[in-house]
Amino acid sequence: MEQPMTDELTAQVVTLVTEALQVSAEEITPETAFGDLPQWDSMGHMEIMLALEERFGVEVSAETIGALTSVPLIVEHLQEKTHG
Amino acid sequence: MAEISFAPAVSIPAHLTGQVQSKLAYVDERILRGAVSPQGDRITLEVGAPLSPEEREILEDKVQQVVAAMARGALRPKIKILEDYLDRPVPYREDPMPELERRGEVFQEAAGIYTLGPLLTRLVAYFESRFEELAASFGAQPYRFPTLVPARNLARVNYFRAFPHSLTFVTHLRSDLDVINHFAESAACDEHGILRTPEGTYAEVETLLSPAVCYHLYFSLADNPLPAESVTATAVGNCFRYESSNLNSLERLWNFTMREVIFVGEKDFVLENRETARRRMEKVFAEIGLAYRVESANDPFFVGEFRKQAAFQSAFDLKFEIRARLPFKDDTLAVGSYNYHQDFFGRHLNITLADGSPVHTGCVAFGLERMAFAFLAQYGFDENAWPEAVRRGVAG
Repeated sequence: MEQPMTDELTAQVVTLVTEALQVSAEEITPETAFGDLPQWDSMGHMEIMLALEERFGVEVSAETIGALTSVPLIVEHLQEKTHG
Repeated sequence: MAEISFAPAVSIPAHLTGQVQSKLAYVDERILRGAVSPQGDRITLEVGAPLSPEEREILEDKVQQVVAAMARGALRPKIKILEDYLDRPVPYREDPMPELERRGEVFQEAAGIYTLGPLLTRLVAYFESRFEELAASFGAQPYRFPTLVPARNLARVNYFRAFPHSLTFVTHLRSDLDVINHFAESAACDEHGILRTPEGTYAEVETLLSPAVCYHLYFSLADNPLPAESVTATAVGNCFRYESSNLNSLERLWNFTMREVIFVGEKDFVLENRETARRRMEKVFAEIGLAYRVESANDPFFVGEFRKQAAFQSAFDLKFEIRARLPFKDDTLAVGSYNYHQDFFGRHLNITLADGSPVHTGCVAFGLERMAFAFLAQYGFDENAWPEAVRRGVAG
């Protein structure tokens, strides 16, 4: 059951990043990272962080801002958070 | 002159009081001075003339907008202190400005615009020589950059969004015989020093005075692969940052000089050299006897971008300032900084590495006038009390 849950979470994160950066859906993949597209710059990154806080209750701190720099890293963080 | 005092709608955290206070200068032209209490629970404004209740309400509302944009939901930055020599003993405790004025060592042409005399010039030259030694230790290539910068270049790096408040624009007369003749015959300053001219006298703005040194290197490398695996450069340049009513003595100049050492290449190259530069300067500052601290910092982004950009810089350790102690006011003054821009300039200016990825950049920057001012604030004017390295260096 782990893989489908991960796929679903990844899809949610891809959607969140797409919306936060205001780009089209095909521009964000499950591997996209900070700097891969012009919109994912410092301001775009902070938009993603604030969206994560709002939707997933992720605490936006210097540590999370510095660590969650790609879709896989965000997914991994959310999984760890969910599993305690 | 009148004073207004009120509580901010959002409590201002201690780490933001100075930054919010500095932005009050840009809220309204009638504000002569703005202050935020150290507790962040009171704002006091000095205005040129008493305000009507309606005017006061509008002014307070503008201030509250600034406070809310900067302080609401503000993230507490990581405070990293890389070096702390603030307690290094120094013999002087006076504000050096009155003595500098008495000696004719500073001549203020206008707010933020000063001519420096022989002593300050020698001190600036000495400190610059130490920064040039640092540049030489990296084999940095020398560059001379222009004082002017095209608007289109600053637009490419989003400068207008991040720092609109500090821009200084350049223009010239329109290339029109009638306009030029009329100007030549009628141009005069009024009693406030304002050059009154008819509308349509000036050409449209396509150039500004440069706010930074290293940008010019990046502009010269734009839209090309990096010509080598890495580039290390050094330059000194005039920089211009308008600071409104915050302009103050030699601490906060509109027109100042920076010596920079600039690194362009892969991420590790830039970060390792920034760290090496810091360690080398630690020894130099010991010889100079400077009381200072190196701590995490952020650039002075304007209100709209401040909260997010400052948090981002903090999270990624992008900026560390060298803050020298000013004993006469029990405060510190940034005299330099160690900066890492990630691949920001590489991406925005299309400068690429051999593999096609954007370059990373960083710089170490030293404010020469501030360095001389901070030294005099710590050591005063009796050269016998100066550290030997400075005494010998200034004597030549």
